Amino acid sequence: MTISEFNKGLRNKEFSASEAVKKLYQKIKSEDPTIGAFLTLLPDLAIAQAQKIDSVIAKGENLPPLAGVPLAVKDIILIEGQACTAASKILEHYTASYDATVIKKLKEQEVIFVGKTNLDEFAMGSSTENSALQITRNPHDLERVPGGSSGGSAAAVAAGFALGALGSDTGGSIRQPAAFCGVVGLKPTYGAVSRYGLMAMASSLDQIGPFANSVEDASLLFQAIRGEDKFDSTSTPADDGQDLIAPDFSALKNMTLGIPSEYFESGMENNMAKAMEQVKEQLQDLGVKFVPVSLPHTKYSLSTYYIIQPAEVSANLARYDGVRYEGVMPAEYLPNDLQELYFESRGKGLGAEVKRRIILGTFVLSSGYHDAYYKKAQQVRALIVKDFEDAFQKADVIFAPVTPHTAFKIGEKSNDPLSMYLEDAYTLPVNIAGLPGLSIPARVKSDMPIGFQLIGKRFREADILGLGQLYEKEIPPPSL
Amino acid sequence: MPDKIISREGLLHIAKLARINLLPAEEEKLLHDLQDILNHFEELNELDTSKVVPVNGGTYLKNIFREDSYPLGSRQGAGKNQFPKEQGGFLKVPPVFKKSEDKA
Repeated sequence: MTISEFNKGLRNKEFSASEAVKKLYQKIKSEDPTIGAFLTLLPDLAIAQAQKIDSVIAKGENLPPLAGVPLAVKDIILIEGQACTAASKILEHYTASYDATVIKKLKEQEVIFVGKTNLDEFAMGSSTENSALQITRNPHDLERVPGGSSGGSAAAVAAGFALGALGSDTGGSIRQPAAFCGVVGLKPTYGAVSRYGLMAMASSLDQIGPFANSVEDASLLFQAIRGEDKFDSTSTPADDGQDLIAPDFSALKNMTLGIPSEYFESGMENNMAKAMEQVKEQLQDLGVKFVPVSLPHTKYSLSTYYIIQPAEVSANLARYDGVRYEGVMPAEYLPNDLQELYFESRGKGLGAEVKRRIILGTFVLSSGYHDAYYKKAQQVRALIVKDFEDAFQKADVIFAPVTPHTAFKIGEKSNDPLSMYLEDAYTLPVNIAGLPGLSIPARVKSDMPIGFQLIGKRFREADILGLGQLYEKEIPPPSL
Repeated sequence: MPDKIISREGLLHIAKLARINLLPAEEEKLLHDLQDILNHFEELNELDTSKVVPVNGGTYLKNIFREDSYPLGSRQGAGKNQFPKEQGGFLKVPPVFKKSEDKA
């Protein structure tokens, strides 16, 4: 079911919000123990909100288009009065003291928050296996990972536990799990959505975005959360000249898509390369033109990212000291001094991947190494930004894969950090350049879901969401 | 390619700066992983960036100011209940200086 179908059903009184919520929790209670998408369910909040919506409908009053829509939220975005763990032991007992701006905006839209979803600890990872709290399984194959770090959100939408979800994307954490789970995921332009109330991981890269069953639904959710916010100085006003919901399809058919040779040269598995070729033909049949473009510094993205990202992580995660946000040490623990409490709390409360990145980030920022690593990476970042600027001289949108292969098996890569980092090769250049990227399920036959990626110019979400809507309108899903 | 960029002493120094206690097994794994990752970073030296202006932050926005206003919100103290210990309205933490240092 899509959001607009849900809204229509609600307004036509085919079902009530309360009935919908009740049914949803029955489904979650019977199926989520196997999948593990949720860390916390919010039934009290959800039922109260559903009753409120039903009483508004009974009075015949108008409701916003997202009213009553059940949404899941990555457990790194704060909802006042609710637990928020970032899937870390160090925050296991933390309760959020305010609403994130995106939550505040969605509350104004009268949505229903179903629960908080699992993630790689502090959003660091590509499989959700780094969660310190539980494993999440891919609803399409329980032996496989849902992707990450927003794996719980992607799995919740794919399993039908919610009509949409919020995630965060620092290097691919929305687009990659969306591709693995067969749902739509949007990473907006850096600055398009306020990050106030999102636990900061890598501040020059982090962005909040939606998961949904269709590109139209993702557009509705993005429209509701975007815009300037005085609590996030990197946020910018929404460009209201763009029609996200009812795009001009005939104009979109005249668009030129760039194919970056560096993304298609090597690294992709055969079935993925074949699927990309099929999607390209589908888009060409719609009238869209393709031109070759070059992003020559693509191969340096991984090193650039894994210097800048851990550097910012090491600074942002200094706040988790075992004193604030509830402690992690047992009540009987009596340290000799404050430093001992910090060392013990962080040693015990943070997981292996988080420690690895903090240590790596501290190293690249440390005296004697800063210029060789951090400054160098910021310079290469400038070259990567320039690559995209040049490519956008020739093309309106860039066409790319999301992942080199479909979802891998649980445990397959969890012991080798470098091979896990390589999972994000096609997504992290987009974060480095601050661009919007959309992951759309390819409508081709495949055992496991395959996603393709549309990368837009800065603040031109309308282009990629419009093209995505065109694709979904004109290309039928493959018959099973 | 340099075979050893970070030594055990170097790692322990960095862990100290990062305020993290490492178990011996964690030390071994980290030394190995960091060596792999830092070796991978060597590829950046293929690029001449001597004339490139580094990108700071992820945005082209500059100097975001707002009018000074009061109050921005009434959330002061909202985080107070997140502290595990409190005494007489103060937040309670272990001593900053070791007891032995107090005597000295």
